[in-house]
Amino acid sequence: MADANELQAQLKILCDAYAAQLPEKMKQLEQAWEQLPLDSWDEEGFQTLHRMVHSLTGSGKTFGFSLLSDVARNLEDHFKQLAQAKTTLNEQQRSHIQGLMSELHQATLHRDAPVGDQTGLTAVVPLSQSLAGSKHIFVVDDDHEQAEELKVQLCYFGYEVSVFSNLADFRLAMQANPDVTVLIDINFPEDSQGGVQAIKEIQQGRDIPLTVIFLSAHNEFDARLEAVRAGSIAYLSKPVNIGNLIDKLDNLTSTLSSAPYKVLVVDDSESLSTYYAILLEQAGMVVKVVNNPLDVMVPLLEFTPDLILLDIYMPECNGLELAKVIRQLDIFVSIPIVFLSAESDLDKQLFAIGLGGDDFLTKPIQPQHLISSVTSRIQRSLILRSFMVRDSLTGLLNHTAIQDQLVLEVARAKRQETSLAFAMVDIDHFKQVNDTYGHPAGDRVIKSLSRLLKQRLRETDVVGRYGGEEFAVILNNTDGVAAVKVFDTIRKSFSQLQHFADGKEFSVTFSCGIADVLCFNDSPKLGDAADKALYKAKHFGRDQVVLANDPAATRL
Amino acid sequence: MADKLTRILYVEDEPDIQMVARLALEALGGFTVEICSSGDEALQRAPGFQPQLFLLDVMMPGMDGPSTLKMLRALPQFCNTPAIFMTAKVQPGEVAGYKALGAVDVIPKPFDPMTLASRVQDIWDRCHG
Repeated sequence: MADANELQAQLKILCDAYAAQLPEKMKQLEQAWEQLPLDSWDEEGFQTLHRMVHSLTGSGKTFGFSLLSDVARNLEDHFKQLAQAKTTLNEQQRSHIQGLMSELHQATLHRDAPVGDQTGLTAVVPLSQSLAGSKHIFVVDDDHEQAEELKVQLCYFGYEVSVFSNLADFRLAMQANPDVTVLIDINFPEDSQGGVQAIKEIQQGRDIPLTVIFLSAHNEFDARLEAVRAGSIAYLSKPVNIGNLIDKLDNLTSTLSSAPYKVLVVDDSESLSTYYAILLEQAGMVVKVVNNPLDVMVPLLEFTPDLILLDIYMPECNGLELAKVIRQLDIFVSIPIVFLSAESDLDKQLFAIGLGGDDFLTKPIQPQHLISSVTSRIQRSLILRSFMVRDSLTGLLNHTAIQDQLVLEVARAKRQETSLAFAMVDIDHFKQVNDTYGHPAGDRVIKSLSRLLKQRLRETDVVGRYGGEEFAVILNNTDGVAAVKVFDTIRKSFSQLQHFADGKEFSVTFSCGIADVLCFNDSPKLGDAADKALYKAKHFGRDQVVLANDPAATRL
Repeated sequence: MADKLTRILYVEDEPDIQMVARLALEALGGFTVEICSSGDEALQRAPGFQPQLFLLDVMMPGMDGPSTLKMLRALPQFCNTPAIFMTAKVQPGEVAGYKALGAVDVIPKPFDPMTLASRVQDIWDRCHG
């Protein structure tokens, strides 16, 4: 089987050769058209012309000229009508054909984006990058006091902040193209729309738009519209509700959009599945290929894809049966399944969708089509899933989701014989925080711990909010002893964080219990052991990390 | 599967389509492909090549695809060999017509070179499944 990249290269050579021949073909075609007599019906000459056009219909798209195929088909349909009448063409018919011929000529200049071409794919890729937001924030406000106040608050939430009191300084700083999120006032002394103007100018010079949040004392529609036109992602009225602002910023930096999409391709054709995989990988996704549908279970559980691309016609187990099997697993009830098939019969497509498919792509599929349809399916499904599995305050996995995840990760760790630790974290004396400083202050403490955990742990670790002031973390490829070290560092950082409420400063600590999968080999035992270790940590005086004892060791 | 598809005889008059189809069927599909530029050539070369499947362009100067198939069918060793037509003229009614002429299926042109081989394989699997 030929290497897919080499195939692409060979295919490109053929497409280039076809493109090079097109001007000559068009010239012959135009000659054949001009040679048709004006005053009689020339059957043979017309047949020749028809065949030339027919050949373009049948080849254009194959060589990357889709538009050419379409226009040629249109012209052919017209020819068919004329061929039935077999009468001398009148003025109107001639000018209609002339028009279609020049469209055809135009179409020869219109080449599709080459397969796998990077410029063609960039429209998809930077989307997640531009959504990522930055930890560094520029606050631009002529009211220096307000700006400094905002800076202090944002710093509590782990953001790095620079303040600018005038637009000139801000413009100067932006010349270095820093990766920042901008919070900017609309009204400046020199210009009531100064903030909007400055942002519009800066946006013009950028490929990836700057992430901007406008702040304004005005709440009129006009001002909001101008802000949107300048590319703002949010508009907040002054005085700024800091909780609201943090939510917006957290959404920008949320992990939701940053992890690459995972797609499982199930197709018995090795070459085709490799081809799909390459296309999707070029668009920044992670792809796993299964060629035998009977082998799908292990990759399904270990790879936990965001979407499954399923061929319909496969030996041993067809795509429709496989979709049913996958849907019967609770954790995959909501996963998008997209069927791939040469089937163009709408009834059969609907039948397939009834069996658990979400979409139906008919082969041959245009590369762009495949990528955009997979991307949008995953985006929507992740947003829906996030409502189901994410905690609304912190954006972390909720109780059920982290438990489901623990079952999956423990199974994976056992199969792959890797280590895994499970940690339970509980904020100490949280009720006192709420009682003394109020619930909004309590929520901020929870958010600050959630942010700290996300910042300090690896992408591969899974963080969830177990409930109230309790968090749960799955650390993959980490044993209990290493996990204790990690959490002890986080514990020290957290205890040094200063929280503020009503002008008062306070600090908070947490306790943590950890269990190692080597000693507790299924998820209920692991959860129970971590919980007991947490209880011990509380019992020993809080603000500490305790590792659950190996039950086998204590018996000795 | 008892008989794996390997040998395909492809009849197509246009050289550029011949090339891209060869690439698609040989490099991507792993088939052995014999290409003929006309119906006459197909009749001469088919007995020596012993194809398992015919792939025929419908519209060709001289003998067209359906006529070529009729002539091939007249040879005893090819009276049951599956045939696929390739054509840019596919209206729902026409497919039935082509099938009546003895084709197992029709592949519309322009075809996607990346999926041609799998389409051919799918059709083969269906008539042997």
